[in-house]
Amino acid sequence: MRTLVDWLDERLQIREIKVALFDRKIPKGVGWIYTLGSLSLGIFLLQSVTGILLAMNYSPSPQFAYESVSYITHQVTLGNIVRGLHKWGASAMVLIVTLHMIRVYFMGSYKYPRELSWVVGVFIWLIVMGFGFTGYLLPWDQKGYWATMVGTTIAEQAPLVGPALAKLLRGGDTLGTVTLTRFYAIHVLVLPALVLTLIALHLFFVVRQGISAPPERDKPDGPHA
Amino acid sequence: MDPENSRRDFLKKSIFLLGGLMAVGVAVPGGTYFLSPLWRKGEEGWLELGEISKILPGEPVKVDYAQRRRDGWATIEEKSSAWVVTDDGKKFTVFDPHCTHLGCPYHWDTAKKKFLCPCHNATFGMDGQVISGPPPRPLDQFTTKVVGGKLLIKPRSGGA
Ligand code: HEM
Ligand code: FES
Repeated sequence: MRTLVDWLDERLQIREIKVALFDRKIPKGVGWIYTLGSLSLGIFLLQSVTGILLAMNYSPSPQFAYESVSYITHQVTLGNIVRGLHKWGASAMVLIVTLHMIRVYFMGSYKYPRELSWVVGVFIWLIVMGFGFTGYLLPWDQKGYWATMVGTTIAEQAPLVGPALAKLLRGGDTLGTVTLTRFYAIHVLVLPALVLTLIALHLFFVVRQGISAPPERDKPDGPHA
Repeated sequence: MDPENSRRDFLKKSIFLLGGLMAVGVAVPGGTYFLSPLWRKGEEGWLELGEISKILPGEPVKVDYAQRRRDGWATIEEKSSAWVVTDDGKKFTVFDPHCTHLGCPYHWDTAKKKFLCPCHNATFGMDGQVISGPPPRPLDQFTTKVVGGKLLIKPRSGGA
């Protein structure tokens, strides 16, 4: 093990990476609320693992979606646990990411020089909402169906582009087969690809810039450190 | 060790312990879920091939039947067939309709009185034994029973 690490270190200087990632300097006064970002990452990983497992037994067709979800819940060993983790994890994700955003806001951490972390963060937050919206339809139960009906009809109310937008979301004039496959593709292909890219960027910024110091009374401009 | 270092050490260990526990907490149910096809049992049920009175001794008879079975979350109806042979109209041998070489469907050649597989020119006798060609073993048989004048077979799970 030691020799393997040495071997890699000699070629790739991996110990530098470890130092940059894990032995970073943290400003004084940083506490628990500064772990919300790492917690978001943890839940994102949980959602990735459980989501991949669910996809192995899920069928995105009106005929079988509900049946396959009930197959996961009742037939596959520990399927109810895996599904439960993904379902609760989805709510936890929205909650924790939002709390992280609130902490960044109230600590003034979004200010210079961290505007980019904030802007990327806003897009990540929107994608998290997208995950929730598209995932909710997938069990093809009454709740998901009507929630999607309401959601797409809200989009339809937008001036000018509304009807086109609703049609795009539904993949047609009515909510049906094509809506389900669309939402599935967006949920498991489009959004993960986007969010992975943005999270990588976000983490790069955070590691590169270091965490901001909590604001102090006599420094009204907030954290430049 | 000075207190600052032992505190650091403690926190480091706690993080690894908690992180490890969380990872195991997901990996165990996740791994079990992923591996569950390994111990999942296929459905075993008897299938009805039809009245035995219609199966006459002498020539093998091809019986077509429909099989309804659960396939994951779907219930599918599959058409399948089997070759039935009897000497006395009481005891029946039922062959899986796939050649034991590479799975082609074979047929009964009335003139040659042999089962003939067209894919690689194999021939089997009426008892299922290989007469010529590449198949490594005699024709596969289904378990059979006769109940109330009807012939039943037990398909091997997974087989079509
Ligand atoms: C999957 C979602 C997200 C992940 C994994 C994530 C991860 C992180 C991590 C690990 C940090 C380090 C500091 C901390 O943990 O508080 C951080 C900082 C930061 N995040 Fe996020 N974040 C996410 C979403 C967001 C969102 C939605 C916003 C805002 C719209 C945001 C804005 C920021 C900013 C501005 C910083 C710099 C804070 C500072 O330097 O004090 N992040 N993020
Ligand atoms: S498959 Fe029948 S002889 Fe090859």
